[in-house]
Amino acid sequence: MTDFQFKGRCWSVGDFVPTDQIVKSHRVFLRLDEIARYVLEDANPAFAAGVKAGDVLVAGRHFGQSSGRAIAVRALRATGISCVVAESFARTFYRNAFEVGLPILEAPGIHAATVEGDVLEVDVPGGQVKVQRTGQVLQGNRTDPFLLEMLRAGGIIAVGSRLVEGDK
Amino acid sequence: MNLIESILARASGKRRVQPGDIVIAEVDRMIMHDLSGYMTSRVYEEKVKQPLKHPDRVVMVFDHIFSPPREREAEVLQSNREWAVRYGIRLLDCGSGNIHNAVVREGFIGPGMVVVGSDSHTPVHGALGAFAVAVGNDCHAGMVFPHSKAWFRVPATLRIELDGRLPEGSTPRDVALWLVGQIGEGGAIYKALEFAGPFVDELELFDRWLLPLITVDVGAKCGYAEPDEKVFEFARAQHAMGHWEGLDIVPPSRRRPEEVRQYDVSRLEPQIACPPTVGNVKPVTAVAGQPIQWAEIGGHGGGRIEDIRLLARVLEGKRVHPDVRLNVVPASRAAFGEALREGLVELLHEAGAMWFPPSTGSNQNVNMGAMAAGESMISTHSRNFPGRNGSAAASMYLASALTVGASALRGCITDARDVL
Repeated sequence: MTDFQFKGRCWSVGDFVPTDQIVKSHRVFLRLDEIARYVLEDANPAFAAGVKAGDVLVAGRHFGQSSGRAIAVRALRATGISCVVAESFARTFYRNAFEVGLPILEAPGIHAATVEGDVLEVDVPGGQVKVQRTGQVLQGNRTDPFLLEMLRAGGIIAVGSRLVEGDK
Repeated sequence: MNLIESILARASGKRRVQPGDIVIAEVDRMIMHDLSGYMTSRVYEEKVKQPLKHPDRVVMVFDHIFSPPREREAEVLQSNREWAVRYGIRLLDCGSGNIHNAVVREGFIGPGMVVVGSDSHTPVHGALGAFAVAVGNDCHAGMVFPHSKAWFRVPATLRIELDGRLPEGSTPRDVALWLVGQIGEGGAIYKALEFAGPFVDELELFDRWLLPLITVDVGAKCGYAEPDEKVFEFARAQHAMGHWEGLDIVPPSRRRPEEVRQYDVSRLEPQIACPPTVGNVKPVTAVAGQPIQWAEIGGHGGGRIEDIRLLARVLEGKRVHPDVRLNVVPASRAAFGEALREGLVELLHEAGAMWFPPSTGSNQNVNMGAMAAGESMISTHSRNFPGRNGSAAASMYLASALTVGASALRGCITDARDVL
């Protein structure tokens, strides 16, 4: 698939999962591949051991709330998931996702529309998610083209200088 | 334009901006603590091959680790110190206080500034009339360090008007806790919160500061109160008048209509945020009697001299309950100095409290504050998620310094009005 269109089996977590439940603070100094083995250890204990490359994480409201550390995004990406689809995201997590290079999509209704293990077809630029089991298609929130461009480039470090130059 | 729009217009070299615009803005101050500083410096070293443009604008504060408990933490601080010296940034080492109080009391923040930080409570600096936003490690490393700029989407504003006089036993922190419950976690995503109204006007600066502290909890981007003479007086004394000149702020009556919510605090009972999240706010009376083993004045919004005074008011001439350990963690060296001069260090020592170095205290139990399964703490901290302080089966309650003191006295969650 091209341009941030994904198809994968989904894992599920609930509302208001904070970054320090994505990665606990005492693990942030470990190597990223080690951190990846503990991602969401309390919120979904089966996730880190069972996740396969290309899987999709479905989350509830205000996912990634509280601390703004980018390690939460980096660790999720290190698990091999293709993207995160949530009811809504905390703004620091949302920003970090595009700055670090993890595709995400806000799709209100996604939590109720899925059960863990469903296969989802996610179109990030188009803002759509299809649940294969039911055939239901959810229309998510549009992603700003500025952010999509950052995502395509691989994150803010790749585009930082260009943004500043382009602004002159 | 309101304060935030004016600051963003000036900082991005535009005449006008409006909500939804994406701007590239000049950053006046970048703050980070020992943990985020370590992560940001690693990203910068590994991925960004450009010089750091304005080292004098960058401040690092060691606040999670006040004394390294293990070799690993000592290495983190050593690495941070070397990095700070190599690039010539400002460093406030162990014992300086929690990042936000320390940078304000050291004169690094002023009205009209653009302030960024990796800590999620960075928006608290809106209390001084700054545009203050939490952004991630990669933005700092990839844009702020090499260019002293960051991108921002201009936020829509939610104006929160507060009126009324608080009844006995309730404090500005109760108002802040209550507002999280009223607005809801994620209830104001991406917005700027403008705190205004007679209640806000009457608050002293460091009580006003508790309001934008909740910005992250309700999902907002920044929070602020328009600076008044109290703020300017403080800023002038700190030589931190920041970047106030050249702003084009118009009063609310002449601005396009914004979303406004009005609240009256005159009947507000003492509030408490119960596990598992900051938005689970109740009157203290709803959970009174719940046993606690730990109590703490500290955290990113706690440990101010105002908190220490409230604690002393409850504990003067009394003793902490034998089942409770009471930690007192000053927010800054300045706050500890004030407590010393006011005789509160001795007063609280005699009451059975334990004094800790200025820091973030038990925040995420990096340096202290782990709990075993089944234990509970009541504190002035800003977070109560399970597993943040040791066992996921331990409980953290967030309340005012008065409620923390009353609970430490009785050994269980207690409405301060019962002991005052």
